[in-house]
Amino acid sequence: MSNMKRFLALIIMILFAIVLTACGDSSEESGGGDNTSNNDTEENANSDEESDESDEAYSFTIMANLHTPEVPDEKVLNKIEEATNTDVEIQWVPDNNYEDRLNTAFATSSLPQAVFMKNQTTFLQFREAIEDEQFWELDDYLDEFENLKKLKENVQDNTRVNGKLYTLYQGRPLSRQGIIYRKDWADNLGLAAPTTTDEFMEMARAFTEDDPDGNGKDDTFGVTDRSDLVYGAFKTVASWFGTPNEWGEKDGQLLPEFMFDEYKQTMDFFKEMHENGYINQDFPVTSKTDQQEFFKNGSAGIYVGSMGDVISLYNDAVAINPEVEFDVHNQVKGPHGEFGIWAIPGFGNLVMFPKSSVETEDDLRKILAFFDKMMTPEVANTAYWGIEGEHYEVVDGFAKVLDSEVSEREVKPYQAIEIGEAETSGRYEGYFEYEPKAKSEELFKDNENYLIENPTVPLYSETFVQDGARLQQIITDATYNYIIGQLDEAGFEAAVENWQSQGGDKIIEEFNASE
Amino acid sequence: MGTSTVIQDKNTLKKKRKSETWKKLRKNKYLYLMIAPGLIYFLIYKYLPMYGLIISFQDYKPYQGIMGSEWVGFEHFQRLFTSPEFWMIFKNTLVLFALQLLIYFPVPIILSLMLNEVRHSLFKRGIQTIVYIPHFMSWVVIVSISYVMLTLDGGIINEILDSIGLSKINFLLNEDWFRPMYILQVIWREAGWGTIIFLAAITAVDPQLYEAARMDGAGRFRQMWHITLPAIRNVIIILLILKIGDVLELGFEHVYLLLNSSNRNVAEIFDTYVYVAGLQQGQFSYSTAVGFFKGGVGLVLVVFANWLAKKFNEEGIY
Repeated sequence: MSNMKRFLALIIMILFAIVLTACGDSSEESGGGDNTSNNDTEENANSDEESDESDEAYSFTIMANLHTPEVPDEKVLNKIEEATNTDVEIQWVPDNNYEDRLNTAFATSSLPQAVFMKNQTTFLQFREAIEDEQFWELDDYLDEFENLKKLKENVQDNTRVNGKLYTLYQGRPLSRQGIIYRKDWADNLGLAAPTTTDEFMEMARAFTEDDPDGNGKDDTFGVTDRSDLVYGAFKTVASWFGTPNEWGEKDGQLLPEFMFDEYKQTMDFFKEMHENGYINQDFPVTSKTDQQEFFKNGSAGIYVGSMGDVISLYNDAVAINPEVEFDVHNQVKGPHGEFGIWAIPGFGNLVMFPKSSVETEDDLRKILAFFDKMMTPEVANTAYWGIEGEHYEVVDGFAKVLDSEVSEREVKPYQAIEIGEAETSGRYEGYFEYEPKAKSEELFKDNENYLIENPTVPLYSETFVQDGARLQQIITDATYNYIIGQLDEAGFEAAVENWQSQGGDKIIEEFNASE
Repeated sequence: MGTSTVIQDKNTLKKKRKSETWKKLRKNKYLYLMIAPGLIYFLIYKYLPMYGLIISFQDYKPYQGIMGSEWVGFEHFQRLFTSPEFWMIFKNTLVLFALQLLIYFPVPIILSLMLNEVRHSLFKRGIQTIVYIPHFMSWVVIVSISYVMLTLDGGIINEILDSIGLSKINFLLNEDWFRPMYILQVIWREAGWGTIIFLAAITAVDPQLYEAARMDGAGRFRQMWHITLPAIRNVIIILLILKIGDVLELGFEHVYLLLNSSNRNVAEIFDTYVYVAGLQQGQFSYSTAVGFFKGGVGLVLVVFANWLAKKFNEEGIY
């Protein structure tokens, strides 16, 4: 009997321990909560002090994407607050799980006053709520603000819902896609930058088989890619083959990209690279970090993606191997003899203002006034480049970053709340000593002559909004499985048919009808 | 007349019973007071939120609220049951559950029986500590370690296979390898931790029984079979029922981390489906319906397991 008691006592103790750990968790959370409430009281204290003055700093919250591992220090933010006479709290949400936090906040009506949307897809998910007037329509207000007025009309049109504007956009170059490759390896093997897809394949082959680093070991491969068909290599290569950007016209009808032969050619191209070992074998499950690691540590020689990444890649690579040399390149012609490159709709991110948290027009005006000031050269420079003399200096009218590591930590996160672009806000463009980085900026401009746009951006399909993401999964899975050889052509066709029957046909119909 | 007396009798009986209940309540008021915090916890955190299940019968729009959203009845359930993915997800969930039950569940029992036979106390404690450690690692760490070992691009296991002349195996992108990988990782992380309760139960066995058995010439194995195992049988049964109650808690995080385009056919389970449909794609009502259905399956299994336990003359959990 006493044994039974001892046993029970033990069980109780274990349960107790579990409860304790659970409490630990929750106290951590409430600790976080305390923090914010501390901030609140501080804010209140501040505003109490300032309440004698008539110009009280307006306080509100912004939810924004965090692209760096850590929440930044508030130095830059304080400067922005000072210049805009506001008291801004930024809810940083890691970019990786931005969607769920956004949806959770929305579902529980706890969206803050200014909400960044992340991208076109998430923006589309909110379409219904926007149509239901859950967010402030901005058309009537923008004219009151001299800087917001300057935002580009054609980009704004891409974000209109039923002809009405609900967002401020954050401008980004229309296409940053291209190749970053090992210049030193190419020189060793006597290769020039690839100008056609065949030359690209040849380079991938040579980097894999011809011992480009000259160490006598078979320890290199060509292309490093990751589990992302859009921002990884696939979509850019598809553009070279002439595949449309998401949707394209065939026989007078809008059809999704994967119904085009060019899409299949691209898959075959990847399949060939995969079979021959010219690309990392596990790329469908490779993370961005691992993908870049292969490039930095000298395992792979070709990186297809945003050419601007060349500088961060180089900074890390040179620490491993001081001899390393990179170069960037954009124009690769497909078998049809032309070069094309897919474009984003002119914005990287969008910010919206929910009526649930911005209660009056007066509040909206104050928040818009903040973003208006964000578009003055002075504040835009602070948000984008940091503090002059500390984070950057001006060289010939360009901003030159002083210490890229410090900037990465203290400034770069704030680029996520930028509105407009250098052209409209008048902030400095970058000055880069590292030559390939400067070249990449030029190639962005060159890309603009060869853009492949997504024709469905201004169009609307209800089924696409509702089921588009789920249906896309079918195609994404099939594409990967085709490339790694677990699905044949008939299997891919079956997946496309599956896509069609589960709602794809309706999407095609709706997009074509809304033209 | 007769009927009215019967009714009267019934009424007095009812009153009597009622007053008895009150008496009992008053008599044990401190005991009831003690369970109050637990009750309140369950009411607030487990039962009250169930009110949100209403949205699975609605076309829920957050800004219209639970009261204001349109009522659509069983539409979402219909969509779930007619969806081509439904049977795949249902099957995958049950298969992983079966693996947990048949392969994972016995491991901690065997492990604790083995630990119990270790006589050297310092050695035994050392081993115990070592096998507990993986439990404190997050799934992210465990899945990442497996990834690093199994990848085709320089993973150590494939390098070894290659160096002894075997062909490389595509562990990560092959759906045949998902289930073995899943269950091995579960064992790796949880088996050691799972021994705690069994070891506690084993210490409660009366040592005289072993002495007696030894006198009768029983060896180690006989002692284990005829004394230790029967002694912890009810603990095993209770844990088994609890385990079945967790049937559909297959570890969302774990499966989600392992899931990729090439193993979705075997790796998509209810939890991952709910996460993607609900939180990433914002289909709140539909994903609630899926979660509701999953909860229903879990309930049926627990009731069934409990019934089964009672059938075999064991104590159930209720």
